[in-house]
Amino acid sequence: MYKFRFLRQLRYSLVPQNSRTALAHSPPCRLLSSHHKRRPQLGPIPSDQLDRLKSEYFERRCELSNEDWQHVRHTLTDSFRHINGTNVDAIILGLCSKAEQLPVAKSYLKHLQAQGLKPNAATMGRLLRVYNAAYHTRELSDEEQSEIMQICDSLQNAHAILDASSCENLIHGLVATTQYWQRALPLLDMMNLTTTPSVSAYTALAVKAFSSDQPELGWRLLEEMLQARKLPKCEIFLALLAHYARDVQTLGAQLERLFSFLELYDIVISDLVAQQLLALAQRLPQQLQVTATGLERFGKCCACQQNLQHVAISDAQFVELRESFLQKVLIRNDVFQKTTPQELQRFKQYVEKTAPYDCVIDGLNVAYSTGNKKPPEQLAKLLATVVRYFKERQKRVLVLGRQHMRNWSKPIMKYIQSNASVFLTNNLTHDDPFLLYATLRSGQDTDFFSRDLMRSHAHLLGTELKSTFRRWQQEHQYSLVTRTETGQIIVKEPIRYRLSAHKVGNVWHVPYCEAYSPNPPERFEVPEKWLCITIAQ
Amino acid sequence: MLKNVIQWSTARLLLNGATRSEVRRCLCASLTIKAKENAALGESELEPANRRYGNPFAQTTPTTLTDNTTTESEEQRDKRLKVLQLEADIAHQEGRRVPALEFFKDHHWAHVLSLPTKSARIKYYGFLWQIEMKKESEKRKKEQRAEDTERRLADLRKEREENTHIIYGLGHTSMFLRIYDTTINHWQNNRLTRAMQFAPKMVFDCSYDTYMNNRESSNAAKQLMLSFAENRANDEPFDLHYCNANLAGRCMQGLQRFIPTMHNPEFPMNVHTQCFTELFPKSQLVYLTPHCREDLVTYNPDDVYIIGAMVDTVNNEPLSLAKAKRLGLRMARLPLDRYLQWGSGSGKSLTLNQMINIMLDIKKTGDWDTALRHVPRRKVVDLGTEQYERRQAFNRRANQLNVRIDHLIKLGNDQNESTAIERPRKVRQHKEGLEFDLQSWATGKRKTTKRNKFDDGA
Repeated sequence: MYKFRFLRQLRYSLVPQNSRTALAHSPPCRLLSSHHKRRPQLGPIPSDQLDRLKSEYFERRCELSNEDWQHVRHTLTDSFRHINGTNVDAIILGLCSKAEQLPVAKSYLKHLQAQGLKPNAATMGRLLRVYNAAYHTRELSDEEQSEIMQICDSLQNAHAILDASSCENLIHGLVATTQYWQRALPLLDMMNLTTTPSVSAYTALAVKAFSSDQPELGWRLLEEMLQARKLPKCEIFLALLAHYARDVQTLGAQLERLFSFLELYDIVISDLVAQQLLALAQRLPQQLQVTATGLERFGKCCACQQNLQHVAISDAQFVELRESFLQKVLIRNDVFQKTTPQELQRFKQYVEKTAPYDCVIDGLNVAYSTGNKKPPEQLAKLLATVVRYFKERQKRVLVLGRQHMRNWSKPIMKYIQSNASVFLTNNLTHDDPFLLYATLRSGQDTDFFSRDLMRSHAHLLGTELKSTFRRWQQEHQYSLVTRTETGQIIVKEPIRYRLSAHKVGNVWHVPYCEAYSPNPPERFEVPEKWLCITIAQ
Repeated sequence: MLKNVIQWSTARLLLNGATRSEVRRCLCASLTIKAKENAALGESELEPANRRYGNPFAQTTPTTLTDNTTTESEEQRDKRLKVLQLEADIAHQEGRRVPALEFFKDHHWAHVLSLPTKSARIKYYGFLWQIEMKKESEKRKKEQRAEDTERRLADLRKEREENTHIIYGLGHTSMFLRIYDTTINHWQNNRLTRAMQFAPKMVFDCSYDTYMNNRESSNAAKQLMLSFAENRANDEPFDLHYCNANLAGRCMQGLQRFIPTMHNPEFPMNVHTQCFTELFPKSQLVYLTPHCREDLVTYNPDDVYIIGAMVDTVNNEPLSLAKAKRLGLRMARLPLDRYLQWGSGSGKSLTLNQMINIMLDIKKTGDWDTALRHVPRRKVVDLGTEQYERRQAFNRRANQLNVRIDHLIKLGNDQNESTAIERPRKVRQHKEGLEFDLQSWATGKRKTTKRNKFDDGA
């Protein structure tokens, strides 16, 4: 974690003394478009020197002498402007933070003791991190554990309320012990005072909870994590599975609990967890059958040949979405930002008169699908083609557009007017919320036609309604893929089956992805890899 | 007063159902605003203005902003301050971008306490760290320079002692009169007072305090100060009005720190707490907003143009558009797309002083190319300059090889070059006639004084 800062610096090699001019003379390389926004580096970094330092001193697994440490200290303070007497200790400990470098770290602290310098709080915190790294590879000895406890006691006695990074270091240190890890729980609450606790803090505690026979605590931490909108890491799930695998009787019920948890929070597990589940099923074939599979057309599971559940939202949720939509998305604080009150009134009356529809089309989005700079006649033709598509299927359609569409080709607009209801808003108005409002107002069966992902509107609805909105959107959104040369259009129909973990009959279907990412982007495509799981009752 | 507020809210009353509570809320809010304003400024000033219409954009001081939903007690605040100080201390010990604890002042901590998240605090600490590093580097350089200065001064003193003649120069005997800054200031102020009587008007709408955070408010204050300065320094200044000014708000307080004499009666700056609709008739007003569709084609000196004094880095809602729509004013935007090729750099936002410069130029010349000179070059991708730079690099290489070959390369379409960009002048004029001519090369006929060798390795 701390090394990353230096690794990042190592990528740009700058001359020590001219940090300002070095950037201008750097070799021409492909810069990102946001390069001018990148923060300047933390000071002049002679990367070869740091490399040399690291290979010479820190790669060795054993201890260094006093003179060596003095040399290291002086090199660091002299060559880097931002390193001075206060932060050199913590930086050195940050450089030897790997599990096998624990003796190096300890020797440095001995050196400091010999010099009569007292290590500061940050240094001790980093030492706890090194202990934690070592704990993951081997069991810590009793002296090491008592040393950890000493450090924790001294840090906690120094201040009544600790800051977030100290708390995190302490949590990592305590988790490395066998008996005292329970003391880390109030530290998590202390972290809450200044900031949301980090994923690594939650992960360390949850993994320890599951491996120390306190699954309820682990579940509580998982719930808390999701409330704070942090995605749980693979290690937690692996520890959970390892814990429940020991007791075969309750395994079924606990797995049900896990999968319901995944369903509730729409979590996609990683490949590692999926492999673990497969291995578990291999060990206990009577309890559990797991197959890695994919999906055929129309949401049919390849393994069990069952169709996945429909994605529809319940009536109550739909009503809630419909009632709060206008206020939250269109009106918000100032109705004049997106439209005017008169226009909104006019639209509401129009929808009352001509509802219900089978499909609501976003005219401008459809018209500009094939390109921005087309002549108005082509735009109008594309819109007319889509209207015809629905007319052939005997569907009632509402087309939303803007006033300037009146100037498009007259015969085509006449065709559209005669085969669909048309509503044109002012040229300055945002028409997307109008589209969604009309669709919601018409009922659960109405679809809408647009390529827009509606991300801003989903966000404006707030966290609870956002998931409802996404499911509704997935069920009802048609989009135009492309138009062939012959004039036929290819339309992408909505995916009407659920894309998250859920149960079909008695069989759980759980999607999984390649690797864990802390902020996964929103998924609009069908996951390719699924697990088909049958739990014996 | 209530009647005016109700009139203004009739637009909202058109919406039924869910918005009725909003109407009630806005009525109560405006009542409290009016009560506070009356209490603060005294009845007499407000009455004549409020007789016809209330100020729809009157603001209270943003104390409500920092309190948010929960009011902290003193000791909670102190406890929190202690934890945040510990946080900064530990981060500094770890070598992160946080200055030492001694660097922090009280107003720094006040700002830190108002920040909502840890990431905001980290960014603010990074900003302070940069200031600290710059200060240290300045100190180091000053010490280096002090020695040289000492030596230089000693030499100068020695020379002066030995010299028996009259010393000529600025500050000694010279034919030039010293013109002090105050003289220029008085002259410019006089020009401004004349402008207040005769010149076209320009309005800054300062009602966006609540939509900006601390940094943006300070930036807005600085831009307002700069626009006042640029306006004053111009030959034909505008009559500038700062309307909807909330005098206790962050933006105006910042402006007062820049211009302490701002509220003096003899200082030629018009600051109003009222709205521009109360000062000028609506038919004359044009709101310049980037969110509308109509370009400003010709400048009309009879119109009063309104610029929203807002720095909108964080907030990208079309607030100025909403205001103009609500008041039913005409709207326009600058014809940036028509005259400039916008680059992929930092969006199409212009600062307030850039806007004032553009408007001053368009008033003077009526020509958009000269007016849009004031848009910073880094935002504009000019195909002409790119080609030009490429050609320059090429010529540099060719000069290294002692060959001029640019006439062999097809020059790009020069018609697209925008006249708005100033051309850098040619540096190597002396190499003008030394082009390489393949026909006469190595023919033995000496056409030029210098033999150009053609390096085959190129």
